[in-house]
Amino acid sequence: MFDIQRHADGTVSLHGRFDASQVERAGEVFDQVTGSAVVDFGELRYISSAGLGLLFAAQRRLVDRGHSLTLVNLSPHLHEVFHIAGFDHVFRIG
Amino acid sequence: MASLESVLGLVDDFVDCAGIDERTGLCLTLVVEELFTNLVRHNRGGGDAVEVELTRDGDQVRLGLVDFDVDPFDPSTVAAVPVDAGIRDRTPGGLGLHLVRSMVDRFEVHYDRPSRRMRVEASRALGRR
Repeated sequence: MFDIQRHADGTVSLHGRFDASQVERAGEVFDQVTGSAVVDFGELRYISSAGLGLLFAAQRRLVDRGHSLTLVNLSPHLHEVFHIAGFDHVFRIG
Repeated sequence: MASLESVLGLVDDFVDCAGIDERTGLCLTLVVEELFTNLVRHNRGGGDAVEVELTRDGDQVRLGLVDFDVDPFDPSTVAAVPVDAGIRDRTPGGLGLHLVRSMVDRFEVHYDRPSRRMRVEASRALGRR
């Protein structure tokens, strides 16, 4: 089960399991992000390279325009995945 | 990707039935997803079937994925991921295999040329830090 929501303050929250089958749905939300934003991982248990690739593409697009994503509330497992991927050099992780 | 949902459901059932801890279960799910989607993505002209085996042997979890009627794949030809690079100096390519290698203790690819059958094997110790 996966869910993604974009809130009035611009925060994007992720829930459940972000596997390859959810990339299109998540992409529709991240495509709407045009400025710096917080992505809340507090309710996300799992992400694979497909989701990481989508976040990378969003970050690249935003950085090129002087903005960025800040990732917050990652679980220890997700911290490990982001560290292995080297994404702690790509994102600000709070 | 309906078949991915089925495969991950199989992993969920295995994790529950085999008494796998949460962290190992999440890593196992990731490894299976990455390997399965890689096989599906690169299976040009092969059949639709991919065989997935999951077993627990003491403190070891072993997995095997078999693809049929496929070209050989040599994982050593996949470029290393520049994990220390900043966003402007890298692409997300190759990340799946990099994650797999980092999360298992053993990773092997066996290819049988006469049958064009490829078997990917991996194992990970329960409670690995």
